[in-house]
Amino acid sequence: MDYRAQIGIRFITRRKGSLIAASLAVAIAILVVQVNSVIFQGLYDAIVRDQINYRFGHVYITREEDFITKSDFVLVNWLERIPYVQAAAPRIDSSASINATIDGKIIRDYSVPVIGVDPVLDREASTMAQTVGDGQYVSYRNSVVLGAIVDRDLGGPQVGDTIKLKFKDQHGNDVLRRLTVVGITSTAGSVGLDNSIIMNIDTLREIIDRPHQTQSIIVRLNDPTKDQDVKDLFLAAFPSNADKFKAQTIEESAETTLRGFRSGIALINLVGYFGMMSSAFAVVTIQMMQVTSKTRDIGVMRAIGSKRKDVLLVFIFQGMVIGAIGAGLGTAMGVAYTAYAKETHMTFQGSLPLEVKYNWTSIIQTDIMAFVLAIVASIYPAYKATKLEPVEAMRVG
Amino acid sequence: MADYVLEVKNVDKVYGHGETEVYALRNLSFSVKRGEFMLIVGSSGSGKSTLLNMIGLLDRPTRGKVIIDGVDTSDLNDNELSTFRNSKLGFIFQFSNLLSDLTVLENVTLPRKIQGTVHNSAEEARTLLKTVGLETQMNKFANQISGGQAQRVAITRALINKPSIVLADEPTGNLDSISAETTVQLLKSLNRKLYQTFIIVTHDRHQFGDVDKVVTIKDGRILKEEVEAKMQ
Ligand SMILES: Nc1ncnc2c1ncn2[C@@H]1O[C@H](COP(=O)(O)OP(=O)(O)O)[C@@H](O)[C@H]1O
Ligand SMILES: [Mg+2]
Repeated sequence: MDYRAQIGIRFITRRKGSLIAASLAVAIAILVVQVNSVIFQGLYDAIVRDQINYRFGHVYITREEDFITKSDFVLVNWLERIPYVQAAAPRIDSSASINATIDGKIIRDYSVPVIGVDPVLDREASTMAQTVGDGQYVSYRNSVVLGAIVDRDLGGPQVGDTIKLKFKDQHGNDVLRRLTVVGITSTAGSVGLDNSIIMNIDTLREIIDRPHQTQSIIVRLNDPTKDQDVKDLFLAAFPSNADKFKAQTIEESAETTLRGFRSGIALINLVGYFGMMSSAFAVVTIQMMQVTSKTRDIGVMRAIGSKRKDVLLVFIFQGMVIGAIGAGLGTAMGVAYTAYAKETHMTFQGSLPLEVKYNWTSIIQTDIMAFVLAIVASIYPAYKATKLEPVEAMRVG
Repeated sequence: MADYVLEVKNVDKVYGHGETEVYALRNLSFSVKRGEFMLIVGSSGSGKSTLLNMIGLLDRPTRGKVIIDGVDTSDLNDNELSTFRNSKLGFIFQFSNLLSDLTVLENVTLPRKIQGTVHNSAEEARTLLKTVGLETQMNKFANQISGGQAQRVAITRALINKPSIVLADEPTGNLDSISAETTVQLLKSLNRKLYQTFIIVTHDRHQFGDVDKVVTIKDGRILKEEVEAKMQ
């Protein structure tokens, strides 16, 4: 082995305290980045996942400022012929007022989102049906699934009970309807189904007086990477100058929700990088101590013929040892944390299950960065060491 | 012309500037022949170590020249000085001067590694360590052996590159009298056997008995230069 590498490795590995302190500093910086990534990237991915599953699909088709008047049957059939498309389903988003009651007394009157779904198609295109804990999904006309919070506010009607809701049709007239509760959904998640009511799209069309109209079509893909292709295919087949269709990938449709998170993640990453900087300072300090404690050894090396650049290399190799052990330790801790998060189905604030992934690219990137940082942090102490003169070997004591 | 391995010519060494200026060496000149065993003696603070630093090229004189093997070392740059020290000089210091993070064997072969001539170095180091009676201690770390043993290891390290001059600053200064005596005998016998020049700083010349040359220093100047010095 190169003697400078050998001496560098010995200097640091035979000083357990310095080695542990320096590599822990590096490891903890990596861990911070990893934990941030698990939680915040996990949260971001979880939101994307829920937005796809419940709200937008992979591709979301609407019409500029109006309802779609073309037959949803035709559009869904056309879409489902594309090989990447797993399913498509029409939706209408509306709202209704409910009378919140406690112990049979009405306390307030407020508006809740109502989602109109096709009872058959929606089971394929979204996972909303699977969120029904009690009862079943929307089926026949006049059947509704209540979000858990809505159900509570309505005084806790059970499956089979009838409730009364007040809608507004497209002309602004109030429409009162009796509907039958067939299920209650309590979802974890970021889309707030707990606050919503899900009902048969045809019933909703009739209530708001928009027969055969559709607000949006959600498209689920079997290959999510093909969202842009599907969007392009659709817009080519139904040019926007004719129908004024708008097709959006999930990145576009969920943009408002995701934008805030993206800047949040950027900020959190910044925190991680500050952590890295402080661990770099720890490495500088520990390396300076190493140089001080090895002053005589450096003098002896110089006296018996080592050049300044050899002394530099000794401390650079020390930095590499610190970086390598720190990166190894940090990765081990980071991966262990990720595994723990995955195993325990970690949730955000107890409700939103994080989408935990092993992001090897990011792990390797962080490792390389930490390794390089440990070396960079060693440059100044190593340079200081080269300034020591051979006479240091003669120093008394 | 005699075969001088070392020529010191009009060397001054001044520490500090202006008010704090100290002349550690003042207009010092002498020469040493190849194979001589020479002592530099003098009281504490007289400038012995400073002189050894100049001869050992660990520091540069303020004025004057140090010529080793015919090479004027004042012409050499920092890297050339390192290479020169590595191949021409062997050092033995007063205080433990082994790297404590290396084993005895690794310490001895270090000058060869620095030189880049590692071939056979382990075998040669073993042979040398056997000469000084340390073949059983080779794989111990340098901080696990006694002071006397460490000094003998330092001697073998000083010899491994077959230097022209072996320099020692108070090599027995830190040892008990028995270890000191062993070290002195070892140095003298190596000098006879290897025909290498030994320059040794000591404040106790009697310890060394008869030597080829003694230079006595006082206040940075040569007080006395004796050849074929017998023990009084
Ligand atoms: N690095 C230095 N800076 C200033 N003065 C020094 C330095 N080294 C030695 N001296 C001075 O030079 C003189 C000679 O010192 P030194 O060579 O160590 O003497 P010796 O080895 O004979 O005891 C002393 O007065 C000492 O104080
Ligand atoms: Mg001295």
